[in-house]
Amino acid sequence: MTLLSVRGITTGYGPSIVNRDVSLTLGENEIITILGPNGAGKSTLLRTIVGLVRPRAGSVVMDGEDLTGRTPDVMAKRGLVLVPEGRRIFADMTVAENLRLGAYARRDADGIEADVEVMEGFFPILAAKRQQKGGSLSGGQQQMLAIARGLMARPRVLLLDEPSLGLSPLLVKEIQAIILGIGARFGASVLLVEQNAGLALSVASRGYLMQNGRIVTCGPISELKDMALMRELYLGGATEPAS
Amino acid sequence: MLPILIQQLLNGLSIASVITLIAVGVTLIFGLTGIINFAHGEFLMIGSFVTWLAVQAGTGFVPALVIAILAVALMGLVLERGLFRFTLTRPTNGFIVSLGLIVVLQHVVILFFGPNQKSIPRPLAGVWDVGGVRIASVRVMVILVTIAVVAMTFVMITRSRYGRALRAAVEDRDTAALMGIPVRRYITGVFVLGSALAGLGGALLIALFPVTPFTGGTMVMKGFAVALMGGLGNLTGAVVAGLILGIVEGFSAGYGFSEWTDAYSFGLMILVLLVRPNGLFGGTSGPKMA
Repeated sequence: MTLLSVRGITTGYGPSIVNRDVSLTLGENEIITILGPNGAGKSTLLRTIVGLVRPRAGSVVMDGEDLTGRTPDVMAKRGLVLVPEGRRIFADMTVAENLRLGAYARRDADGIEADVEVMEGFFPILAAKRQQKGGSLSGGQQQMLAIARGLMARPRVLLLDEPSLGLSPLLVKEIQAIILGIGARFGASVLLVEQNAGLALSVASRGYLMQNGRIVTCGPISELKDMALMRELYLGGATEPAS
Repeated sequence: MLPILIQQLLNGLSIASVITLIAVGVTLIFGLTGIINFAHGEFLMIGSFVTWLAVQAGTGFVPALVIAILAVALMGLVLERGLFRFTLTRPTNGFIVSLGLIVVLQHVVILFFGPNQKSIPRPLAGVWDVGGVRIASVRVMVILVTIAVVAMTFVMITRSRYGRALRAAVEDRDTAALMGIPVRRYITGVFVLGSALAGLGGALLIALFPVTPFTGGTMVMKGFAVALMGGLGNLTGAVVAGLILGIVEGFSAGYGFSEWTDAYSFGLMILVLLVRPNGLFGGTSGPKMA
């Protein structure tokens, strides 16, 4: 059952085109990944899917509803939530406030408070730092908070942009376990964009390979791993496998 | 000497109250949109004229004040929807638009009401004598109303769900939108809130002094100075700087230098900004543009 369907998306800033005719699908309880070198257009694609960037062509369809061109707050209400690159924690606000902001679109006050507890159980460090300013957390802690804040919206699709960026191998392993648990614990599908191919390949069941703004190949991870292009781009490179 | 000083201090604080109401509006709107709305002084002046019109029409001061708040809030809504929303990606354009609005709003008012000053009878005529200190009750009213309204605004912004979302949008507009916060609606809301405060300030001002179509100019300069001193975008800063301005103006007048009052205020602003370029409490740099 297809949950999210991205069809023929073309994006750009000013005269330059970033993504060309990108299509992908994401099913219920699925984890997929978009791989590709720096500057391939992965972040722009994610920002387009959640409405931060307006596509020049193509559509974003969630659960049969065409959401193309809607603003990010509408997307969040429909269950499409992005955990942005660089974490973008609200530095002047406490961890508790950051979590509650994630649930802005929800109206069930009791459910929100219950979910805060769920998050503090799932990410124990957040319970310990509850009243501290978001800006005082370390990079790894901020990433945990960013993912928890995204989950507070009870998304149906969580888009993760480079969650392992700048984290130690040990923390990358933690992130790996968290991503694998999102489907079972929160019932959300995950679209993961990662530089760390080892991490991406170890959690996703399918992958898309992006180069110069286009999808050049896609398929089950087991098949992608064997492709010459993948080896050339990643597996022979300096990226650190997380497994 | 002391009784005169206390009287002048009250005078200073009552004017500073009106200026603080402008500064709060200027600082809130800047924090969220990056637009410095210099026409905010004209919003205040129009609030005064609406109050005058209502009183002329026979209403009491309190209904006139409420009408002024509503009228200026509506004007803010129309101007945000009709003008300022098109300048959100380029706050400098919004700034220029606000400069143009100054001229337009002033001349519309002059066209209908002429350039002369307007005044209303004092809504509170009482003067209390407290141990030789003569205290005009209207000034105390202005100070108390301002304290109450600013405190309400402060509680709303620091405690409520809407305030939390507003602070998030000030800190990082894009990420706030990702949380499901309808940022555009908040921008409209803050414009309306800032305008309502200017409308209130206008009503309070005409309760203190006669007002001309040109009053907005001097008031917004001081409002802006207060917002800058406190740190542009910082609500607490605007309130504390407003208080400091009131005390300085009161003392300078109290010691017989009333013609130098404005020089003291702006001198203080320059001094503060030389020592602390981001204001006393640190400002925001305006919205992050992605």
